[in-house]
Amino acid sequence: MPLTNRGRQILSRVPGGHLQSTTGVGCTIVRHEELCVGCGTCARDCPSGASERGDFFDVTQLLDAPDGSRRGELGAALRVLMRHEPDGPIEVPERVTVYRTIVHDDDRCLGCGTCARTCPAGAIEARPPEAGAASAEATAAPAASGGEVRP
Amino acid sequence: MTATATSATATAGTATSPGRSIVAFCCRECAYAAADASANARRPLPPSVRLVLMPCTGRVSPLHLLRALAEGADGVMVAGCLLGQCHYREGNFNAVDRVAFVQRLLESVGVEPERCRMFTMSAGEPPKFVAAVREMDRVVGGLPPLPRSSDGQSRTTHDGTRAAAASQQPPARTRRTA
Repeated sequence: MPLTNRGRQILSRVPGGHLQSTTGVGCTIVRHEELCVGCGTCARDCPSGASERGDFFDVTQLLDAPDGSRRGELGAALRVLMRHEPDGPIEVPERVTVYRTIVHDDDRCLGCGTCARTCPAGAIEARPPEAGAASAEATAAPAASGGEVRP
Repeated sequence: MTATATSATATAGTATSPGRSIVAFCCRECAYAAADASANARRPLPPSVRLVLMPCTGRVSPLHLLRALAEGADGVMVAGCLLGQCHYREGNFNAVDRVAFVQRLLESVGVEPERCRMFTMSAGEPPKFVAAVREMDRVVGGLPPLPRSSDGQSRTTHDGTRAAAASQQPPARTRRTA
């Protein structure tokens, strides 16, 4: 199981300390990028630093955004203008903060579901381990279902 | 919010100019004052330009620029204070980056990025404002007319899987964070 940022700091101070790995018991984080508004709340609240605001923006997020949202309005205007499908992610200038694709690192993710709980747009889903992982582990740790968080 | 800008462009595209229409988002402190002074000095602006008064160029969002282009403008320009002389300290730095973002956005979908540009000038430089508008007029005039697809047509071309995933979700709380 990955460590939190604080856990990594403590581990670095322990002489000869090494990580005793355990199997993951956390939720599986499923991001619905088309609903993301780019506010960065998940990146701010993530205890392990697994979610971060990236340097690039995936333009298809604008086109898939729901009507009525800010990104949806931008996508509607872009759809009127566009001559072909977007080439791919574009690099975002420094001072543009909202139009960034959140990068989620599964290796660092604890599966705690904090991002899903705090996401104001409901774009993140935390699936409990029973749904995704092997069922044997799930029956061994029924307490893990207490970690279920609805988006 | 963009209602004044878009209605201005809609009339500009059809009624007056047979050529192009340009929407200039002008900062109140510098560019709009420069435009005012150029009018007092009887320096003619190209008839294609429509001025939109903004409190600061930092108020200009990518949505202003893209909406104006989508609803009839052939080019949009943002005119603000000289860099470092923004009356709100950093507004025009934000505008520079947002204009750069919109340029990359346009480029990625096959639209000429020159259609969106940023200019800076001080309130005491009306000739610079006139030159900026003429420059924009010249560049946009050299480009082919901006083709627009009717809205909703190309929406169906997008893959339905992601749309289906979105509809399964509980209704998203719409909160304006941008």
